[in-house]
Amino acid sequence: MHNGIIIGAGPAGLTAAVTCAENGLDVIVLDEYMRAGGRLLGQLYEQPDGKWWNGIKESERLFQQAVDLGVQFRFGTAVSNIEYLDDMWVIYTEKEVLQTSNLLLATGAAESPVPVPGWTLPGVMSVGAAQVMTNVHRVKPGERGVIIGINVLSAAIAMELQLAGVEVASLTLPRMSEVTDVEAHPKEVMDSLLHVSHMAPSPFVKLGSKFMKGDFMKKMGAAFYPKNGVKMWDIPIQLRKAVIEIYGENQVEGVTLATINSKGDVVPGTEENIAADFVCIAGGLYPLAELAAIAGCPFYLVEELGGYVPLHSEEMETTLDGLYVAGNITGIEGAKVAAAQGHVAGLSIARNNGIRSLDYKIMDAIQHVKTTRDHAYIQFHPQIQKGRSKIQDQWNTYQRNVQEV
Amino acid sequence: MTDRRILDHPILGEQKSQKEISFTFNQKEYKGLQGEPIAAALLANGVRTLRYHEESGTPRGIYCNIGHCFECRVIINGKQGQRACLTPLEEGMVIESPAPLPTPVRDWRYENA
Amino acid sequence: MQKNNMIICRCEEVTYADLKKTKEKYNCTARELKLRTRAGMGYCGGRTCRSAVDKIASSLEKQKEKDIIPLKYQPPVRPVSFADLGGEHK
Repeated sequence: MHNGIIIGAGPAGLTAAVTCAENGLDVIVLDEYMRAGGRLLGQLYEQPDGKWWNGIKESERLFQQAVDLGVQFRFGTAVSNIEYLDDMWVIYTEKEVLQTSNLLLATGAAESPVPVPGWTLPGVMSVGAAQVMTNVHRVKPGERGVIIGINVLSAAIAMELQLAGVEVASLTLPRMSEVTDVEAHPKEVMDSLLHVSHMAPSPFVKLGSKFMKGDFMKKMGAAFYPKNGVKMWDIPIQLRKAVIEIYGENQVEGVTLATINSKGDVVPGTEENIAADFVCIAGGLYPLAELAAIAGCPFYLVEELGGYVPLHSEEMETTLDGLYVAGNITGIEGAKVAAAQGHVAGLSIARNNGIRSLDYKIMDAIQHVKTTRDHAYIQFHPQIQKGRSKIQDQWNTYQRNVQEV
Repeated sequence: MTDRRILDHPILGEQKSQKEISFTFNQKEYKGLQGEPIAAALLANGVRTLRYHEESGTPRGIYCNIGHCFECRVIINGKQGQRACLTPLEEGMVIESPAPLPTPVRDWRYENA
Repeated sequence: MQKNNMIICRCEEVTYADLKKTKEKYNCTARELKLRTRAGMGYCGGRTCRSAVDKIASSLEKQKEKDIIPLKYQPPVRPVSFADLGGEHK
């Protein structure tokens, strides 16, 4: 028996584990990956102060801190089911069945698909896959790639690929269809890209943000955007082209690009082939909340948070006894926010285990989450604050309804 | 195989040296680094196709690379359904691609009768 | 390759045309669409294609419910082998 079990060894799970252990709890962390860090592992970017944020180092530091405090880890351990039986959470893994009164779900995020004809060919991978292969395992995903989907994550990863000596032939849009969302719409993409402008050393986005302030200007921008795109970090960004097919006999050999108008429709007769040996699909991240769903948590769709999120409080409790959430399962944000949430969850678990006088610490920790969010260097969704207040409102409503019953 | 590996990285520095070991994939011998994911070892050897779809036989490789999509599932030492993206490579591993099934379940549907 | 032949569910190889035809024929919800086509019922449990199947289904539904997940999650969320269920000793 453990005082707490944490599913997911990313920034949220690791920080929660450290916090629990600092408060004298005996906790165990489960993760299906082979090492600690989660999505933090792949991250690599230059911060405003010129220092590099190295996800591998950060992961190792947090992991070591947890190990030194006596936290136990089980890697390569997938959880297939959880259920609440006799006031205990029962966790089923391939190898064993564990029990605890306090369970934290820190399962992170999964990547949304952008189906493209030919996307099952070997050599087509999610953009996160290319990131992990390059930065963590140090194997090139290929020599020359095309990234389909232009967003904060794919722009950052394009730069990381380039840093590792992998050529990115184009960062471009998917063809608009019923299964694509705003990601195929040039104006929407332009809009969201303005939020990475501070990361761009090249004049493109900087110019963009200066001139594209108003909605009208953005429309104009998409309409008059040069057909051949512009370059950011020397990578061609093509908001006026879309991939209509990925081709290859047994693996990726290239993509067929076509010009699109400002609404996202393909201009017939503009198709051209570009050679590539790998393709990345960048549909953005969504909260991976399947365990919260089977546990019976109520959910709410908050677009600003990246999808359906389990109802939770600022103290990281769900509506279910002894079940907590932290990190990207609560909404898509950066690793620093996830870690700050993990700290709150760890304190809440400690308090639930009978550790006294934590109320002020929890209040401080919640404040720290907000400060971290306000100072976040990379924001995945420009309206993140709005998303957070939506879920808080839903939580308050839920609490009121429960009290009335 | 060195050119597919990123031995030196401008920010991350040199790759930590790991022990080189041998394994087989579809009866062919390859070299990889101990403890790296099987998918990384195969990609470093230029191998992208890990399996063939059960029904159609179309080739498949890694997709998500972190265990979510199960596209990279292979047979490791006789055990099927193992994810190449999160299984650490060990000396002498025998890895095989699952082949299309002889009687795909979908053939039993009434439309196909 | 035509857009219609584009695969949406990679595990079960369900195409855009399969889903669209089924949706039009039965005017169905995301769940029914999944059950009729097997989209999202393969090895990965729908982790990859879920949002795309949702989008195709919801383009017909009147309004998206904000507090109901269109496609239900059910255990196990990871495949469990018969050997593990049967407690085969190693």
